Amino acid sequence: MEIIKIVGIGFIVTMLVLMMKKDRPEFAIQLSLTLTIVIFLIILNKVQVVLQLFYDLAEKANISMMYLNTLLKIIGIAYITEFGAQVCKDAGEGAIAGKIEFAGKVMVMVMAIPIIALVIDTIVKLLP
Amino acid sequence: MGLDLLFKIAGVGILISVFHTALKQAGKEDMAHLCTLAGFTLVLLWVVQLLGKLFYTVQDVFKLS
Repeated sequence: MEIIKIVGIGFIVTMLVLMMKKDRPEFAIQLSLTLTIVIFLIILNKVQVVLQLFYDLAEKANISMMYLNTLLKIIGIAYITEFGAQVCKDAGEGAIAGKIEFAGKVMVMVMAIPIIALVIDTIVKLLP
Repeated sequence: MGLDLLFKIAGVGILISVFHTALKQAGKEDMAHLCTLAGFTLVLLWVVQLLGKLFYTVQDVFKLS
């Protein structure tokens, strides 16, 4: 039961952060950052199993690996961006979080360019 | 694996808090600030190492780059 472990760690760290926020806010931020990383590391192992299933399904359906890889990259970028932005927002730096989110959006757009080009190509071919 | 690091960070935080107060009471303001800086750097070292591990794992899982 990994979820019980995660909730337990979350409660304990919440108490510690509350204790420390008043006179040492920088340590409180580092604590919550570490907690986020630890939970992500636990969860990523599970995500890997799901992704393996997706790969198997894509292989069975004869879908090109290029699409699935692009999709995965976009998910990964979104994941890291969200992580970074949330940590900055927690520390009270909403402006920096906004910049990180903006950078993430642009990166996702860049990743999606091959697929968009392909869609437009297909549409142009369909037109008489 | 990560739980001990969390408690280590909390411990350092509390310890630094106590040191800071004690040094301030003793009238050594500059030493108190240096103490805080040292503790912060120590914890930052741990956190950055763990962060590197996380980013490496994310790259591995999502086949980034």
